[in-house]
Amino acid sequence: MDTTNANATIKCWVELYSDQLYTWAYYKISDRETAEDLVQEVFLAAVHSFKNFEGKSDPKTWLLSILKNKIADHFRKVYRTNANNTVSFNQFFGSNEDWISDQRPQQWKEDEEQHLLDNPDFKKTLTHCLEKLPANWKASIVLKFIEEKDSNEICQELQIAPTNYWQILHRSKLQLRKCLELNWFKK
Amino acid sequence: MLSCKKAASLIDKKVEVKLSWKENIQLTMHKSMCNACTAYEKQTKLIDKILYTHIHSDSETNIPVIKNKELQKQIITKL
Repeated sequence: MDTTNANATIKCWVELYSDQLYTWAYYKISDRETAEDLVQEVFLAAVHSFKNFEGKSDPKTWLLSILKNKIADHFRKVYRTNANNTVSFNQFFGSNEDWISDQRPQQWKEDEEQHLLDNPDFKKTLTHCLEKLPANWKASIVLKFIEEKDSNEICQELQIAPTNYWQILHRSKLQLRKCLELNWFKK
Repeated sequence: MLSCKKAASLIDKKVEVKLSWKENIQLTMHKSMCNACTAYEKQTKLIDKILYTHIHSDSETNIPVIKNKELQKQIITKL
């Protein structure tokens, strides 16, 4: 296919899919400007590799897979450029290593998880709680889930020791848990 | 007897790394006597599922699409 044709097709895709891609990116990144930059990069990359597309998959799926890679690149950069915060657990456990009383997990009201994620208000709460994590911790969480890679591979990419990596995930989940409990499950 | 701090860390470690035989037994014993850590395990697993769907899912089924005409225009001029 010649380039004029590629350009015309992709212009058409911009109209069809850019809002969806932008929404998707915005919910992962929570930063308007970065989300816009990445979506723009997706379409520029699509022009360059248009001949690899060959109509094999649904255009939206193809564009989304490019976007996922861009988002993963973004979070790898965020992880590397943010100073290593020390992982401390003192906020959650006392000197006797028991839960500090206001951190002790309470019973949550039962909610179907799919049902939860279909709820825009819950999605807002979750995004808010993720935003409160230090940038490099949030980056490790997103990287864990966005690409289906095992933790060894992620550790290698980030040049982090496996123990450090799961300690960061553990520390982040303690904080997320508390934030969700306060802002959602206890309400 | 394992402390809650150690038990909670093993609960999250278990998702990433295989626990040793001893760690597994210690964790099971601790949970049988500790409601807080049992609740923690249930909740951290729910959080994992929620994060997976939130971050990984291809479609934002019920999430309203954010319109961004400016961005659309900007990309089209750059193409």
